[in-house]
Amino acid sequence: MTVAGGAASRMFRPRGVGEAVEMLAVARESGDVVALLSGGTDLVPALRSGERVADAVVALRRVLELRVRGAGADSLTIGAGVTYTDLVGWSLAPGLARAARVVGSAQIRNTGTVGGALGSARPAGDLLTYLTAADAEVLTASPRGLRRRPLERFLADPLAADSLITAVRLARPGGPQVYVKIGGRQAAYPAIVSCALVVDRVRHRVACAIGGVGHLPARMGGAESYAVGEVDWTTGTIPAPAVRRFGDLVVEAVAGIGPALPVRPGESADYRWHAAGVLAGRALARCLHPRTDRDGAS
Amino acid sequence: MTAAGESYQLNIDGFTRAVVGAGLGDSLLTVLRDTLGVTSVKDACEQGRCGACSVLLDGRLAASCTVLAADADGARVVTVAGLGAVGLARAVRAMFLAEGAVQCGFCTPGFVVAVTDLLTRRPDADDEEIREALAGNICRCTGYGRILAAIRAVQRERGMLPARREPPTHPVGG
Repeated sequence: MTVAGGAASRMFRPRGVGEAVEMLAVARESGDVVALLSGGTDLVPALRSGERVADAVVALRRVLELRVRGAGADSLTIGAGVTYTDLVGWSLAPGLARAARVVGSAQIRNTGTVGGALGSARPAGDLLTYLTAADAEVLTASPRGLRRRPLERFLADPLAADSLITAVRLARPGGPQVYVKIGGRQAAYPAIVSCALVVDRVRHRVACAIGGVGHLPARMGGAESYAVGEVDWTTGTIPAPAVRRFGDLVVEAVAGIGPALPVRPGESADYRWHAAGVLAGRALARCLHPRTDRDGAS
Repeated sequence: MTAAGESYQLNIDGFTRAVVGAGLGDSLLTVLRDTLGVTSVKDACEQGRCGACSVLLDGRLAASCTVLAADADGARVVTVAGLGAVGLARAVRAMFLAEGAVQCGFCTPGFVVAVTDLLTRRPDADDEEIREALAGNICRCTGYGRILAAIRAVQRERGMLPARREPPTHPVGG
């Protein structure tokens, strides 16, 4: 026998965002614990293990308007029901495509969604780490209307129980972006530590987020400012020693993040901090070609 | 709304099956095996990591342990038995046997679903693409070499690989 799922007693399957908001309100009226179901890759195993309990489930699979992605002049909008597979080949968003490509496995990428990544908010979630570096905004819908908030504010004040995530919005890329991670296996297992680096060559900005060192991905403000000062913006290069220093600054920053995550075999805090520095250095070197002294002696 | 205890329908391998008595929190894997008796869909990790319960959900490869069964009402679910008795799926099954890609056999139905899906979308996939596409299917016997050989054999047999120019011949010896 497989292990049965939780004791959910009601299931709602809306066909539009407005209907979903209404059904969410109905489901909550009786004081029930309600779970929003998108792709199911986090929620369904969690219901079975008892990690999560729900009296009612509002399933969003049939809300087609959540599955739309679009590009404006300055921004990209990705519906909450867009899957990782839908993002893998998106040429307008190479960093996002890269982060989506290394999520889980084909099975997970085909079902897991952008909204689910935000709703579950795993500490080292691939997409969450990338969106943290990309200064994403989160769009939500509730009976009080639509709301748009920076990701950081959204994560600090989790989804109100009567709200659902409708989309994320981010600026169109203005330079190279990479996403790198370390996990127990290359595929299918969650990352232990991850790093997203976003370079904006137009506005002269470097953004770096590290996942897996705290309860949410964290921005590396000090290391970012340091890197901005070291980049030669006309050539898009950086001195090789600055790459090492960047990694060291990241290690210092992540070591100061509390409270500590639970330690598992092979995932001590020291290992995570060291890995964060290595990944950050590697990410920076991929975005901005490191220059030795000889290169710069022109 | 569906309330606990109400029946619902699933489309499994082209047949409409009534699901009676399953919990609303039950996964598609649980309902397939324990309610409907479809035991080719294997139960191993129940966390979406091993691929033994792989099915096609509306044409896309998915781990049935991560799908809520009641939410698959209205979707097309295809297991290894529904892939077809002829054509590509038959060739994949035959080559798994011919190339010794089956050891204990537990992962095999999931692999056959995943490989058939891959070769339908990407007939000329190379080794790297094949390995990446199958990273969500784990073989605890570690028979990956033979599985890869079986896939290559299917591609050759069915003419899926681009015709390669023969390497230039040079006179041997001298």
